[in-house]
Amino acid sequence: MVELEQLRFVRLRPNDLAQAADFATRVLGLEPVDRTPETATFRSDYRDYTLAFGQDRVPSVGLEVRYSSDLDAAQKALGQLGLKTGRGSTEDCALRKVKDMIWFTDFSGNRFELVVRPLNTGWRYFPSRDAGIRGLTDVLIRSTNIEKDLSIWTGVFNNAKVRDWAGDAAYLGFDDAHHRLAFFPADKPGILAVEYAVEDVNLLMRNHYVLRDLQVPVVHGPGRRPASDQLFLTFAGPADVLFSFVAEGANISPAHQPRQFPAGPEGLCGWGSDCRVTEFNALAKGRDR
Amino acid sequence: MIKLQDVSYVRLGTADLEGATNFATEYLGLEVSHRSKDAVYLKSDQREHTLCYFAGSPADQTAAFEVSEQSDLDAAAAELEKLGHRVRLGTAKEAELRQVRNFIAFQDPTGNNIELVWRPAMSSRRYHGERDAGITGFSHIGLCTTDAPRDEEFWTKVCNARVSDRIGDAALLRIDEVHHTIALFPTTRAGIQHINHQVESGDDVMRSFKFLSDRQVPMVFGPGRHPTSSAKFLYFEGPDGMVFEYSSGVREIADELLYRERQLPFEPKGFCEWGAKPEIKEFRN
Repeated sequence: MVELEQLRFVRLRPNDLAQAADFATRVLGLEPVDRTPETATFRSDYRDYTLAFGQDRVPSVGLEVRYSSDLDAAQKALGQLGLKTGRGSTEDCALRKVKDMIWFTDFSGNRFELVVRPLNTGWRYFPSRDAGIRGLTDVLIRSTNIEKDLSIWTGVFNNAKVRDWAGDAAYLGFDDAHHRLAFFPADKPGILAVEYAVEDVNLLMRNHYVLRDLQVPVVHGPGRRPASDQLFLTFAGPADVLFSFVAEGANISPAHQPRQFPAGPEGLCGWGSDCRVTEFNALAKGRDR
Repeated sequence: MIKLQDVSYVRLGTADLEGATNFATEYLGLEVSHRSKDAVYLKSDQREHTLCYFAGSPADQTAAFEVSEQSDLDAAAAELEKLGHRVRLGTAKEAELRQVRNFIAFQDPTGNNIELVWRPAMSSRRYHGERDAGITGFSHIGLCTTDAPRDEEFWTKVCNARVSDRIGDAALLRIDEVHHTIALFPTTRAGIQHINHQVESGDDVMRSFKFLSDRQVPMVFGPGRHPTSSAKFLYFEGPDGMVFEYSSGVREIADELLYRERQLPFEPKGFCEWGAKPEIKEFRN
């Protein structure tokens, strides 16, 4: 069994790199780190980067484990489940600024990367605009088979636990945060939303008005998630991926038991905010059938 | 000095008593305390009523403040008359309608109808709103002023209000530890500029934003957060164009000696630190 330590990065492939980079700095307010004609990375906290735009064939989510031996163990266990996995080359590792890595695709076809010794920054984070970002906090993922995909996480990683359910969507956590990954039923794989924590409700609402001025389409929120108690504001980003600002949110106590919340917008927002995310609304339709 | 203890109630005339009552109960979330032939009394907290709609002209608006003693009423009447305000003693019948033991009526320098009441009725039954708006009580009023410095002087020198902050020339006044109970907004008319109810949490403000938006209630400002009082707010329009506000998290000023009022700009950022822009006439240049 392998221990997951941290959520580290999200790698996306935008159609227009310049436009995506502009979104990252002007809308999200992230700090540009490295830039080549094909790639751009952005910092949001103590990690060297948490968002990378590049030429990868499929988008991926990076998670940290402690030792190379953990990678060996994970690769073996993932292989036994019949999943496609591979070791990262020296070049792959250099590109990601990690010491060692493996990758795997889950049953839906989502790519995850497990990395060892990813780079932290020695310099503090200095945002492009004062959005009040505290850091990358969680990622929402589309799944075509929730049950099988979850079995990977709970089977291979001993600290990964389903924290709550909203309809068939599952919140998965591995540290004291309510969740780091959340899987939503969908008809195709992919990253649904990348979520950055902001300082507090004031920053969240300030960002709401900034997004309005910047004419960024808000697709869900501002609202509060009944399961995680997070305040959220979800909006459209590059590469067909949504981005969210989130704030507050409950930490997990040792006595926490997974709870079932309603499917659809009702189970995803306690304020009744308008929801224009197909995957969130589809849940509600699924329940009615 | 006239010692105001609390804002007590607001009386609003309306040509459509039924419509106003529907708004107050189904949308605003108040509870009907009792009805008479031509008036409806509404409850928002432990008090017997804090808002009254009566059949009459929408321009006929009155705000009432509570005083502690009968002698305070007498002293206030004498002081106001000395200053040239016409003071009217409420009749027994009128006092009964208002559910107070005794009251006097006068106009402030702008011409706002003000009543000072003694022993307003408390309810033995707790407030249970028509909908779960999370209301914890009627809390403050905005008053129109045609001369802000003159009226600020009236409320702070003749009465016991203190300036908590100013937005441009608009003074936010406290009469107890709550940041403001009266707010004076410069304009060209007399009347009540807005009516505030406190709600339990910021979540309630946001829930109501959705609830009222869905029902096409005109949103005129917010959701936002006041840099002055730190309260999260939502302003919307009710019957006869009256602006109602929900807010939560209003600052309290515990130390009178240490507190110093601040000056904020009379522009959107002086009213909201989240970036909302007011559609309220008195909040705009």
